[in-house]
Amino acid sequence: MNPLHVKAIARKEFYHLIRDFRSLYLAFIMPLLLIFMFGYALSLDVDNVRTVIVDQDKTALSRDFIRKLNASAYFEIIRHLDDSRAAVRYLDQGVTTMVIVIPPGWTQDLTADRETSVQILLDGSDPNFAGLSRGYITAFVEAYNRDRLLSFLNRKGRETIEPPVDGRIRVWFNEDLDSRNFIVPGIIAIIIMIVGAMLTSLVIAREYENGTMETIRSLPIGGGEFLLGKAIPYFLIALTDVLVAVFMGQVLFGVVMKSSFWLMVLASAVYISVALCLGLLISIATKSQLVANQMAILITFLPSLLLSDFVFPVGNMPKIFQILTHVIPATYFIDILNGIYLRSLGFAHLWPSYVILVGMLIILGNIGFAMLKREGM
Amino acid sequence: MNWLRVRELVRKEFIQLFRDKKNRPLLVIAPFVQLLVFGYVLSTDVRDVRVAVLDHSRTRESRMLVDAFDANKTFRIISYPRHAGELEKLLLRRKVDIAVKIDPDFSKRIRRGDSSPIQILADGSMSNMAAVRIAYASLVLDRFNQHMIRELYGQRLDYGRIDARVRTWYNPNLDSRNFFVPGIVAVLIMILSLLLTSMAIIREKEAGTIEQLIVTPLRPIELILGKIIPYIIITQTLMIIVIAFAIVWFSIPLKGSFFLLVAAACLFLLSTLGTGLFISTISATQQQAMMTVFFFILPFFMFSGFVFPIASMPTAIQWLTYLNPLRYFLVIIRGVFLKGVGFEVLWPQFLALLVLGIIVFTSAVKRFRKRLD
Amino acid sequence: MNISGPDVVYVKDLEKRFGRFVAVDKISFSVKKGEVFGFLGPNGAGKSTTIRMLCGIMSPTSGYGQVAGHDIATEAEAIKHSIGYMSQKFSLYEDMTPFENIRFYLGVYEVPPEDWRERVEWVLDMASLQDVRDRVTKELPPGWRQRLALGCALLHRPEILFLDEPTSGVDPITRRHFWEFIDSLAEGGVTVFVTTHYMDEARNCRRVVMINEGRIVISGSPIEIISRVFPKKPEADLDDVFVRLMSRRTP
Repeated sequence: MNPLHVKAIARKEFYHLIRDFRSLYLAFIMPLLLIFMFGYALSLDVDNVRTVIVDQDKTALSRDFIRKLNASAYFEIIRHLDDSRAAVRYLDQGVTTMVIVIPPGWTQDLTADRETSVQILLDGSDPNFAGLSRGYITAFVEAYNRDRLLSFLNRKGRETIEPPVDGRIRVWFNEDLDSRNFIVPGIIAIIIMIVGAMLTSLVIAREYENGTMETIRSLPIGGGEFLLGKAIPYFLIALTDVLVAVFMGQVLFGVVMKSSFWLMVLASAVYISVALCLGLLISIATKSQLVANQMAILITFLPSLLLSDFVFPVGNMPKIFQILTHVIPATYFIDILNGIYLRSLGFAHLWPSYVILVGMLIILGNIGFAMLKREGM
Repeated sequence: MNWLRVRELVRKEFIQLFRDKKNRPLLVIAPFVQLLVFGYVLSTDVRDVRVAVLDHSRTRESRMLVDAFDANKTFRIISYPRHAGELEKLLLRRKVDIAVKIDPDFSKRIRRGDSSPIQILADGSMSNMAAVRIAYASLVLDRFNQHMIRELYGQRLDYGRIDARVRTWYNPNLDSRNFFVPGIVAVLIMILSLLLTSMAIIREKEAGTIEQLIVTPLRPIELILGKIIPYIIITQTLMIIVIAFAIVWFSIPLKGSFFLLVAAACLFLLSTLGTGLFISTISATQQQAMMTVFFFILPFFMFSGFVFPIASMPTAIQWLTYLNPLRYFLVIIRGVFLKGVGFEVLWPQFLALLVLGIIVFTSAVKRFRKRLD
Repeated sequence: MNISGPDVVYVKDLEKRFGRFVAVDKISFSVKKGEVFGFLGPNGAGKSTTIRMLCGIMSPTSGYGQVAGHDIATEAEAIKHSIGYMSQKFSLYEDMTPFENIRFYLGVYEVPPEDWRERVEWVLDMASLQDVRDRVTKELPPGWRQRLALGCALLHRPEILFLDEPTSGVDPITRRHFWEFIDSLAEGGVTVFVTTHYMDEARNCRRVVMINEGRIVISGSPIEIISRVFPKKPEADLDDVFVRLMSRRTP
């Protein structure tokens, strides 16, 4: 392995990269854009449910209920209507996703200690949103009920009845239940695939298309030197992107690592290398930038996004996808990230994923090397 | 405007399209594969929640609680660890989503009339799913409480309880597939029309045949129409087939008017085909076009309400989404599929699509003509 | 088998098959040091395949070949240090400047760093590119690019220069200059192996081999060949020879 050779190839690759604005965009701007999108703008949490109230009771008590609802951080009452039919129209139009109807005679029932109800019409189109909204409203009503029980017991002079089961809910690993805490680390995996695999999938195919591959083969450069030289600029860029992403995640969005930073860097380095191998392999195999691009999107980007347990739970998928998820490098990297960012795990727990990634690296590297050898390098 | 010339151009385009074997996978196989893969993968359903129960009490009452979880279809008890360390390991290794810890004096405290704390440990990693799981678990606990109170105090405590009667409209089972699949159809149409148009034009550029066309009496607008009309037809046809496939395979309900969908798609295509045209003027090779489509599409996907709800975005971004045609098309397609609403409800979206479509298309055409000259 | 003497290239019964298609059908020839050797034939005759085997890029199906003292089948890597190769498409990096292209090849051929500056100047002078050393190669006319490609193939002072269709797409004046340069190289002891389908240029070669459908049809110096094929017509040229010989092969 001659460093002079590697340096020559790496420097050449660097020139190509600098002078192609599309590559630059992918290498620098896209990662920033992704961090911004997923750290700031996109969220699966529901912070604010726009609600429409139809108060058919119109008493002090019902107004009290409504006031308490509005005071809650989760609900924003946008309309008070008299007619539930009008409210349904709002549901149809998508102006609101929740309509709460307080039936007439509500207060009478309550003061007479009779059980009554509120009708909640929920737009089920977006089940994620609806499920969370439903959770919030039922929790609110239950809390309201508990207050009512206490005042009832006080009135009747009964001693307070404690609820038999006091559910103490503790959230582990993402205590503030902020979707950003699992999305931002995951997006790092995506960024690496874009820079490490999609970008590199073009670089060798380009040489074939230009005809320069001919010449390269006639040079005293070994396959390994060639691959290494091609990979180095992109490795550096990917690593930089990762560090910037981590920094931004921490400083701007409050997504903080719970265990070792260096563990994260190590994992990133290995995963970046796997991505590079994948990209270069695709490049050598397809010899055409157009096909390489399609393959890269299909084989590297999409699986990392969809099948790595990043946002979409693998547990919900049919068996065949659950099996596929095991051959996707992103799955293991995201597992490591999850462990570092959310579960405070160290190498003692995470080593299997590291080993698998290194294994993938070795296999892919050898395949690439063998392919180049077959081409005469 | 010579329609005969346009017709011949359209015919040429179809011939080229169908003869080129490379196109076949893109046109025929890819949409279905994408529909299937995305349809199965995109899911945020909370079902089959894996539970581990650490029951230190082992009494009738604690078993009743465990049964309450077991009986609930959402939960699946997969493990009964014997001590806290085991429980924690299950959570750490992501083998369970919820862990329930019952103290040894559970039964005694209840029978005494005291409150017995139950620890519910939830894996918060996927926070949106965790929150829903927690809500379901709380419901189980509430119901158990009601039952226990009745048992202990021998009577219903009639205290004027408010029953929250939730009726879920439009997608009563909260099946996330019903939400995602129509969205996938919309996104597929967007990708397909963008790719096909931009690549078709660039292929002519690369082959050099555009120069041939320019020296003929062909007018730029005729060239554009000749390129675009085939793709309108193809995309619409594909959409119809894909929708039929989605309905049959995934059992997605189609409550509204199919023709409304076709009309909306036509307006939507104005925007996407215009964008495809635009992309063809800034790319030199097919590969560059593909890459550009990829960049372009990503923010439009993300900020359309396809997966991430617009209501959860910061206000400034919500305003920006008003410029995204996909946003409106999604509202229409979901409205037609799930809500069964018609034009009288959806007309604002149609209007927006029309306005956006005209703006995008005319600017693209202007730029294209300048390029040709 | 080590052939001593001034043979820089020695080939015996060299064969290359692609499946059932025989691209190079057991050819034998040799090239002496300092010769300008022409390998002529129509498109698809097997010229490029042969040159690739000689450069160590492609391994032969059977037969023996030796270049610069190394076996082409077993010592392919060693060959690459002693040769320079210019492919049909010139294969320069269009988005890099001449200077950057040269520096790349210097690194690749392991030219000692202390010699770099001198070599850079040499190539730029020889190719008359001093004024455009920092202009992106894409912007240079084809003739200039050809000179640059030639320079890059020579900067490590190889024993043999392999040129695959070096003058395609280049104007006659540049071609003339090119062959003058080749001659001066040969005088300096560099062996030049050229493939071409321009018969008129082949006159510049000391010796020539004509190949068609993978087989050698005739070999010798241009004058010998002409007199052999057209003994009564001394004014005939290699084009005529080509037409005469190639049409005979048509079944």
